[in-house]
Amino acid sequence: MLEHGAVAPQLFNGLVLGAFYAIVAIGLSLIMNLTGTINMAHGSFMTLAGYLAYAMVSRGTSFWFALLVAPIIALIVAVVIERTLIRRLYGRDPVYSLLLTFGLSLIAEGIYHKVFTANSVPFSPPPALAGTVALGFMNFPAYRLFIVFVLVVVFVLLALFLNYTRFGLRLRAAVQDTEMITALGTNTQVLYAINFGLGILLAGIAGVLASGLLGLNPTSGNTLLMPAFVTVIICGMGSLYGSLVGGLLIGVAQSLMTLFIPPASEVVMYVLMAVVLTIRPRGLFGEEGVFG
Amino acid sequence: MSEGAPAGPLLVVEGLNTSYGKISILRDVSFAVGAGEVVALLGLNGAGKTTTIRSVLGLTPPRSGSIRFDGLEIAGRPPYRVAQLGVGYVPEGRRMFKDLTTLENLQLAENGRRGDWTIARVLEHLPKLAELRSRKAGRLSGGEQEMLAIGRALVSNPRLLLVDEPSQGLAPLIVEDVYRILAELKAHGVAILLVEQNALLALKLADRAFVLDSGKIVYSGSASELRADRERIRALMGLTDAAVEAAAPPPAP
Repeated sequence: MLEHGAVAPQLFNGLVLGAFYAIVAIGLSLIMNLTGTINMAHGSFMTLAGYLAYAMVSRGTSFWFALLVAPIIALIVAVVIERTLIRRLYGRDPVYSLLLTFGLSLIAEGIYHKVFTANSVPFSPPPALAGTVALGFMNFPAYRLFIVFVLVVVFVLLALFLNYTRFGLRLRAAVQDTEMITALGTNTQVLYAINFGLGILLAGIAGVLASGLLGLNPTSGNTLLMPAFVTVIICGMGSLYGSLVGGLLIGVAQSLMTLFIPPASEVVMYVLMAVVLTIRPRGLFGEEGVFG
Repeated sequence: MSEGAPAGPLLVVEGLNTSYGKISILRDVSFAVGAGEVVALLGLNGAGKTTTIRSVLGLTPPRSGSIRFDGLEIAGRPPYRVAQLGVGYVPEGRRMFKDLTTLENLQLAENGRRGDWTIARVLEHLPKLAELRSRKAGRLSGGEQEMLAIGRALVSNPRLLLVDEPSQGLAPLIVEDVYRILAELKAHGVAILLVEQNALLALKLADRAFVLDSGKIVYSGSASELRADRERIRALMGLTDAAVEAAAPPPAP
């Protein structure tokens, strides 16, 4: 049997990983829900924010500033791409935008490869977050606690934004009936652009934070993307809290599996997905027919 | 009701042709709605009534023709622009945002057009909605939803309301309620383009009427005259005697 001492840290590591999955999955499902776009370039935007932060920090900018600004630059890039390319495919079969964003991710990967080489670049958290924090029953790396803190704040702000602002209200309504929302005087193109940017902002924040934990190379964003897609599928689309629960579930399942059957840690989420889809095809929290 | 022909109509539609793909729905449709006037748009299922409304709003942009609202050409403009100019929409089937509350449904229509109608005033005017303000719209009854659809359109302070089949699927008593509200709006000076299957009901409220048949206007004239001429209604809309009588409003006391 494993000793008790090994389980708690892995559980916490799983929660950290799961928080990443959740935030990335929420961004994916915001975009998928409103415009039917399966954004295969989501991971590339995470990596973009990571590289931007790395470039800033290696030129002497503070980590904190980079954490704030890099995701915003990623957002701006995303909105430009959405307005010039992705938007043209709205209303068509989702395969079109899937192929487009997949192509974009390959182009992005090529660019990162050229500029930063295929090797991981050293991007470490600032000294202030380097040590560990005593939690009483165990010591936990300060950076991981910081990640959890930031992602919780982001999640709460997002929930407040969606539930208590004019814009959030319009987003929630547009997911239900885009045509009616435009007939009531809202420019849906603006909604699409901001919604896409919002999804990428979340990805960007996760991308910067993850770079300091999991490393940064041309494909590092994509390592978080698959679990996030699985989260979206397991939870069903359109549920903020569903994505949170699902992301944490997968993170913890993966982490604990490395203790018990290490080779199975990569597979466990797909097993979970298969089980959930067999029992409840629309996902744990999904509503029937959300996808049209 | 007399024919209130105002100077300079609010909505002027001329030579409208609208098609879905290759199928032509509206052919050379022309009509006008004066400020504060109620105009009934009648016809059988598939005659093109809803398409006319969708063309005016820009939801189904016309292939050709002119739509002027308050002197401004709006044909082909995006629907949100048309709405912002003061065209309110009460859609067929009500199209509630079912997961949102009554109040949120109203808030959605706040699009910056200021005027007499605020959410507070709408709730005051439709007290039933005030009681249900925090209930999800999907859990309202059909009649309550129709009122909410009307209230929602009012919040944007429209000068013209496009109302599509407001009596559809509602019990007769509720239909009376809905028409009473529409009559009040008319008294407030809101112009209404009213699409209705129930011809006699609509003609009671309307000043003028148009009848569409296969995408063409086959009658245009005074609502009261048409209403008095059951024979004509029957001929225009292919209704049987029984259908016309069934659609007749209850006898006046």
